Amino acid sequence: MPVISFSFRDFQDLLGRTLLPGKFSDLVALYAKGEVEWHRNDEVKVALDDTNMPYMWCVEGLARFFRGILEIETGLPEIKAAKAGKTILVDHSVKKIRPYIACFAASGKITEYLLEQLIQLQEKFCEGYGRKRKKVSIGLYSGKHVAFPVSYKAVNPDSVKFTPLEMNEEMNLPDVLERHPKGKAYGSIIKEFAKYPVLVDNYGQVLSLVPIINSNTLGKLKVGDSEILFEATGTDEDAVELAANLFAQNLYERRFELEKISIESGQKKWESPVSFSEKMEIKNADVEFLTGLKLSQSEIKNLLEKARYDVSGNSVTIPDYRRDILHVFDVIEDIAIAYGFDNIESAPLESYTAGSSTEMNGLADTLREIAVGLGFQEILSPILSSKTVLQEKMEQTGNDMVEIENFMSETFSAVRNRLIPIMLEVLSKNKHNEYPQKIFEQGLVSRVAGQEVEDREMISLATSHAKADFTEIKQQADAIFRSLGLDYSIERLEGNAFIPGRAGKIKVGGKDAGILGEISPKVLKNWQLEMPVAALELDLTRLMSIIST
Amino acid sequence: MTEGIIGSLHGLERVVLPALLKCRCVDHLCKHTDLKSVEVLRALRWLRDKGLVEIREDSTDFVELDDNGRTYRSKGLPERRFLNAIGNGKTGMAEIMKSTDLSREEFNVSIGILRKNDLITMEKRKEPVFDITKKGTEKLEDGFHAELILKKLDEPMELASFEEEEKEEVRMLRARRGILKIDPRKKIEATLTAEGRKLAESENLKEKVVDRLTPGMIKSGNWQGLRSYNLKASVPRLNFGKKQPYRRFLDEVRIRLTALGFKEMSGPVVESEFWNMDALFMPQFHSARDIHDVYYVKNPKRASDLPMKTVERVKQVHEKGLPGSRGWGYKFDYTKTTRHVLRSHDTSISPRTLSSKDLKIPGKYFQIVRCFRCDVIDATHNADFDQIGGFVVDDNLNLRHLFGVLRMFAKEFCGTDEVRVVPSYFPFTEPSAALYAKHPVMDWIELAGAGIFRPEMTRPLGVEKPVIAWGIGLGRVAMFKLGIKDIRQLYSHDLEFLRKARVT
Repeated sequence: MPVISFSFRDFQDLLGRTLLPGKFSDLVALYAKGEVEWHRNDEVKVALDDTNMPYMWCVEGLARFFRGILEIETGLPEIKAAKAGKTILVDHSVKKIRPYIACFAASGKITEYLLEQLIQLQEKFCEGYGRKRKKVSIGLYSGKHVAFPVSYKAVNPDSVKFTPLEMNEEMNLPDVLERHPKGKAYGSIIKEFAKYPVLVDNYGQVLSLVPIINSNTLGKLKVGDSEILFEATGTDEDAVELAANLFAQNLYERRFELEKISIESGQKKWESPVSFSEKMEIKNADVEFLTGLKLSQSEIKNLLEKARYDVSGNSVTIPDYRRDILHVFDVIEDIAIAYGFDNIESAPLESYTAGSSTEMNGLADTLREIAVGLGFQEILSPILSSKTVLQEKMEQTGNDMVEIENFMSETFSAVRNRLIPIMLEVLSKNKHNEYPQKIFEQGLVSRVAGQEVEDREMISLATSHAKADFTEIKQQADAIFRSLGLDYSIERLEGNAFIPGRAGKIKVGGKDAGILGEISPKVLKNWQLEMPVAALELDLTRLMSIIST
Repeated sequence: MTEGIIGSLHGLERVVLPALLKCRCVDHLCKHTDLKSVEVLRALRWLRDKGLVEIREDSTDFVELDDNGRTYRSKGLPERRFLNAIGNGKTGMAEIMKSTDLSREEFNVSIGILRKNDLITMEKRKEPVFDITKKGTEKLEDGFHAELILKKLDEPMELASFEEEEKEEVRMLRARRGILKIDPRKKIEATLTAEGRKLAESENLKEKVVDRLTPGMIKSGNWQGLRSYNLKASVPRLNFGKKQPYRRFLDEVRIRLTALGFKEMSGPVVESEFWNMDALFMPQFHSARDIHDVYYVKNPKRASDLPMKTVERVKQVHEKGLPGSRGWGYKFDYTKTTRHVLRSHDTSISPRTLSSKDLKIPGKYFQIVRCFRCDVIDATHNADFDQIGGFVVDDNLNLRHLFGVLRMFAKEFCGTDEVRVVPSYFPFTEPSAALYAKHPVMDWIELAGAGIFRPEMTRPLGVEKPVIAWGIGLGRVAMFKLGIKDIRQLYSHDLEFLRKARVT
């Protein structure tokens, strides 16, 4: 979800019209899946919802889009580029490392603001859409001193030296990965390969170590420069071409003159950037099916042009800076957006359907009602817990606990496998509060069972005060089973968490349905509890299966 | 007026009020009335509330027995026991210690005191031998004044209430280890107001009053004279059985959704990446997936129960698309699809339901489930959070129905018709919309999101009909309702907070 910032004046210049700030906020919310935040002076920030439309992550793109919506300029945006005079040679050595490249040259005026905007889009594109440069990375160079043809090739890391940006000494490539901040951040993309991809000009000067860092000599674009060399490389051909098309479109709309660059790869030769020229067939019936809007052919054409498509008959041409259209429904959504969500009348659901809760939640609610009636306060806890809570403090071992591999904090590093530990955790946090303390929680636990994980709905009741004992907790169990109309029996339970001889397994229909007992003083001490605790835990998933058979 | 008050006096008040004509401090009142001090205090407070008594609280030194003091009170002071032990003439140290059960320290203290007062003599031999003096014998008959002090201290007493000579004894006892404690305490004195005096002297006060209605009284019909209560008196707070307020809020959401004709679905906490993401047409290596920072499960790492035919169809669509769709054009990774994660969003349940043979068309479905994301925990992020969502499936559902569903939720969960529906983005729906509703107090809030599941998602699951997916975000509304600012309090372990929480 990218957030971009730009000058509102610049936006209006690109739009070709002045707008009130409030109007702009409304337009962004209603058409652009975004939210506007106003800053001091002229600065505006837009947070966008999408993750697949990088063409909206820049002021040029937003202005282009709204020129369509406001009917200042509709249809496919114009773009012109001069024929290629320069060449990039692609060596087969990059094939297995980072095979795709797209590029162009542009000349115009580079201001500080434009530089900021270019870098902003470059970063958003490469981080999000480019999967942190893995899928696509973008390089911008001052074109003036580059001697063509440029080679894109993979080299032995020790065989090449250059001075990377922000450094003042020459380094070999492993050094760059080791010592440069960008090398540390992105080095893992190429580290596994025996050779590293580089761009080198005709004099053997390094332009950049791809996709890590540009050279300080050739790869530094500055205010006042007038020539830009753009390249995008990556592992996804579409995304690489998309990057070049988008930057070319943006610069063209800022009145830069574009020049294509010829790419030679083995026997193949083409001019970059390449137009996708993607078309889709659209049928009125599909539009009505998806949107519920009855639109004429000409209305549809008009709306599509507002959304910056070209239309000819049923055929829709998609702009080259877009690669987010997978299905004709994506185009139809743009028709609905251009039509204006505010103008679409809602329709009620007509079919009758019977509503219901899950059977399990029905049983859970019954148990919760009984527990409240028994005078217990309900607790709702996070399901995530920890080995400390679930095992160590409970003097338990076992391997039925679902543990998390990439946890952030130990407190939330495992899924709870029992509820009694959670009850003790709650009691331990409330020693300063009035006793008696009677609490219960109903909820899910998860347990590893062989190669599977089983979720079980459970309920646990705990009572703590100077005279809390087995009898009291058995009374609660007895009340519950009498309310449910179930016969139960108690069998002796051996376990570290309870006082020996004061803990039992609850059997219903010959099956284990829960446990109850007085918590062992050792466990109480682990929790720093000074009052006796008696607790029970029932397996509702088991009870459910017993009840329904 | 006076009559009315008399009628409302509690039994305790009736006893304490006349006693106040004779004494004013709590201790004396206790003695006089034979009541416990808590009872006297309670009566005084009630009488004050009725304007019959004025209460003054002072701080003054109180004397009370310490651990040794309590022992000496029953066994006698060490010096007395020492003296008793040599009552019949010369006795050696070992024998004295044996018969008196004195500690070495008590033994030494006793020698000090007894010799200082010429009550004993000591011969230093191999073992010291002690003898009683004449003065000693007289002392035994006379008794130890200090012991009288100990006997007097049935309960803490005001230092000022002792005679001058007694005070000297108290001072000396206090200098010894663990006999007496002297601490400042609150001293409560009460005096009658003019009206109180009048009532205290009233004859009516002596009339028999009845406090509690008993079964016997009901049976005999003899229940006259039941006093009236002070209705304004405060009562101790009751801690009672109660549902957790946020869970209760979620219960209500569930009830409303079922009332609207939605059927509840469930799904596992530990989920495969297949159901969590892949089956939603979210490409395995795509930025859309980065929104969710999922928790990976350590063990078992992989799901072994995936429906392989469905997986195969999903794989096809990811790689090559459908007629009319490009697909994502990458190589689907089987290993990744089986990887166990903790469910990162409630939508993981939808593809399970859609591909189930129990799916009913038309159908409306919902789930309220706990989801988990690997996020830094703060006032707005929890490791656990509840999501509410579901879908509607029917012939001919379109964007206009989607708007209808969203408006229905605004009405149902925010009580408002004032809404704004704007375009939005979810990786698995097209088109997608977000609902803003004007809450009566909270003003505009983002309440819900919805979209029509992409055909690339529904078709591999065997569903050809349009499916409207929706989700409601009620976290903020719940926090508003519970009056809390920190999202972690939704799962609060603070018993006081839960006991005090309003039932709304």
